[in-house]
Amino acid sequence: MQLKKPTPGALRLGLMAASCSLLSTPAFAQSAGDVPAEDETPWQFDTGLLYYKENDGRVTTTEPVIGLRKDFGDEQVLNMGLGFDSLSGGSPNGAIPLKKAQTFASPSGTILSNVGGTPVTYTTPSGQTVAQLSKITLYTIEPGQLPADPGFHDTRIALNADWSEPFGDANHYTIGGSLSHELDFVSAVMNGAVSRDFNEKNTTVGLGLNVELDSVKPIGGAPVPRTDYRMLDKLGNHSKDVLGGLLSVTQVMSRTWIAQFNYSYDTSHGYLTDPYKILSVVDAAGSLTDYRFESRPDKRTRQALYWGNKVALSDSMVLDVSFRHGTDDWSVHSNTVDGRLRFPLGNPDIYLEPHLRWYHQTAASFYHLYLDAADTLPEYMSADPRLAEFSAITVGAKLGFMLEDKAEINFRIEVYKQDPTQTSSSLPLLSGLDLNPGLRTVIFQVGWRHGF
Amino acid sequence: MASPCEVLLETTDAGLAARLGARAAAEAHRIEAKFSRYRPDSVVSRLNRSNGDPVEVDAETAALIDFAARCHSLSDGAFDITSGVLRAAWRFDGSNRLPTTAEVDALRARVGFTRLGWSAPRLTVPAGMEIDLGGIGKEYAVDRALGLVAHRFPGAVLVNFGGDLAANGAPATGPWVIGVERPGTDRAARLLLDLSRGGLATSGDTHRFIEVGGVRYGHILDVRSGWPVRDAPRSVTVAASSCIEAGMLATLAMLRGPGAEAFLEEQGVEFWCLR
Repeated sequence: MQLKKPTPGALRLGLMAASCSLLSTPAFAQSAGDVPAEDETPWQFDTGLLYYKENDGRVTTTEPVIGLRKDFGDEQVLNMGLGFDSLSGGSPNGAIPLKKAQTFASPSGTILSNVGGTPVTYTTPSGQTVAQLSKITLYTIEPGQLPADPGFHDTRIALNADWSEPFGDANHYTIGGSLSHELDFVSAVMNGAVSRDFNEKNTTVGLGLNVELDSVKPIGGAPVPRTDYRMLDKLGNHSKDVLGGLLSVTQVMSRTWIAQFNYSYDTSHGYLTDPYKILSVVDAAGSLTDYRFESRPDKRTRQALYWGNKVALSDSMVLDVSFRHGTDDWSVHSNTVDGRLRFPLGNPDIYLEPHLRWYHQTAASFYHLYLDAADTLPEYMSADPRLAEFSAITVGAKLGFMLEDKAEINFRIEVYKQDPTQTSSSLPLLSGLDLNPGLRTVIFQVGWRHGF
Repeated sequence: MASPCEVLLETTDAGLAARLGARAAAEAHRIEAKFSRYRPDSVVSRLNRSNGDPVEVDAETAALIDFAARCHSLSDGAFDITSGVLRAAWRFDGSNRLPTTAEVDALRARVGFTRLGWSAPRLTVPAGMEIDLGGIGKEYAVDRALGLVAHRFPGAVLVNFGGDLAANGAPATGPWVIGVERPGTDRAARLLLDLSRGGLATSGDTHRFIEVGGVRYGHILDVRSGWPVRDAPRSVTVAASSCIEAGMLATLAMLRGPGAEAFLEEQGVEFWCLR
């Protein structure tokens, strides 16, 4: 005789709850001579390969990531990560497209040693002969194209680790750090956080602090801000530091809904200018007069409010929705809405997770698409597209296969489209040109997780 | 566990299989040593010797007592870890000796979960009373051993302790095929079941009964009457989310006697009753 009913009876529901509660109680040995209790888990191995490609031959990167996690039981958890990036392709240099070809100097030339004190001479884009200790590679941008250095290449290696464990009756702490190394940039971060559970673990309040120390060693030296790009007036290295804090409240709203509220504050000091970014200066007709190195304030304070929600719509369907509002004393104010829905695809071991994200930011107060030659040179100025006003949308999906035990393999594809607000000019020589074409990227990621 | 125990997993690594098997065995031995009423040094024996003094128990024992309390309440008192005392009157040895009502009533005075004093972590077992976790211990050991092995092995694992078993998933070749021994036959697996994930437990034993005047009194005692449950199935096999849940459902079904099948249908589980 075999019968099957979809809905468990009331007694069975009570029994399921009692069994779960029993089996989730850690087993303890009766005495020292017995087999010790075991609730340590093996090392969890998380690895992924990310491929990122921007449109029009801009930045392309392939990034392997390795993560290790070990749960020592008693909520003591160690996390470690290793990432390696190799970036190549063009990064926009800030200049606008023109109806004629433009020639620029790539900073990524070979640095020559000053053998015998003899300066190396070379010719700048404008035809001047300059003596400098760096050999500069030139690149030419076709009419109507967005200027980007095609020879851009960088590699980054990043390491991070953190340790988390409980203390006292309902508290946790986490300490961690990370190191990141690029050709022209070294960054060290230390972070720490404490949290406390209240209200039978239904409420968790956390406070986090992080300190970041960066050393910026631009290739060929850091340019003197606001100077004429053709003079290639460059100085040495710089540094910056970031101090940040985060206050968070996580609240269990119901049996199927968890919400998190965060407030974050961070302040950066030091060299915040991008050494590779310039601005085009044009006259009333739209004709190029010169290029200037950008200049940014040496202080930036950012604040953000975040509201995240995880809602179990059914046993197997989870909705993740979040809202973020960021403000900034550079006037880059942003809003983000992010949503993901995870559900099984026919089989409980296969899931699909569509992802939709919308983002909008206002421009930095010193952002200029280009400068007007008739105006006085501003103290702070940048044409970095990342500081422009734009909207962006991300559409993607993740497909995951849960394998035996806790192993999983997943595939993620995402497309990102950025639409700047200001893209054209009415100046005669610039009319009809797309001065800030925005950005379209494709991300493809393969992830694999396994215990060993 | 007084029955053959096995751990099945799909691997070509003999060393790993041996290590995982040893871990499961160690867990079974740990639970048996800790909770068997036949071991004088077990927690249960210590409680049964406490002469009515409160005894502080560890978290694992407390969780088992809590579980037993929950089952007692869910079954309206039919499942009771204090029922062991009644065994003195009932010897399920295949003989035809029935106890007298007076004998049974005398023992009933020493039975009843509500007579225990349970205020975690302190348990008071009144003098003359006994507790026995035998009705849940084996199933509990199966789930614990599975949890331990599954933590260390990425593939499908099945733990089988004498017919009570649990699996964390199906092997690549398809579900586990379980042969359930049919009462009254000689060890030949008569019922073949598929199991992918969850627990399977059987209650009922052909070799433990008293037969008087053509009436077979099975070994399942109803503490509320002190007598075996009449017209219970000879064997009940239940598949549920865990072995302990399956075992409890099978036991509770037996306690329903003629209503075993209806009870299990109501609970919405897969089951196989043999009468």
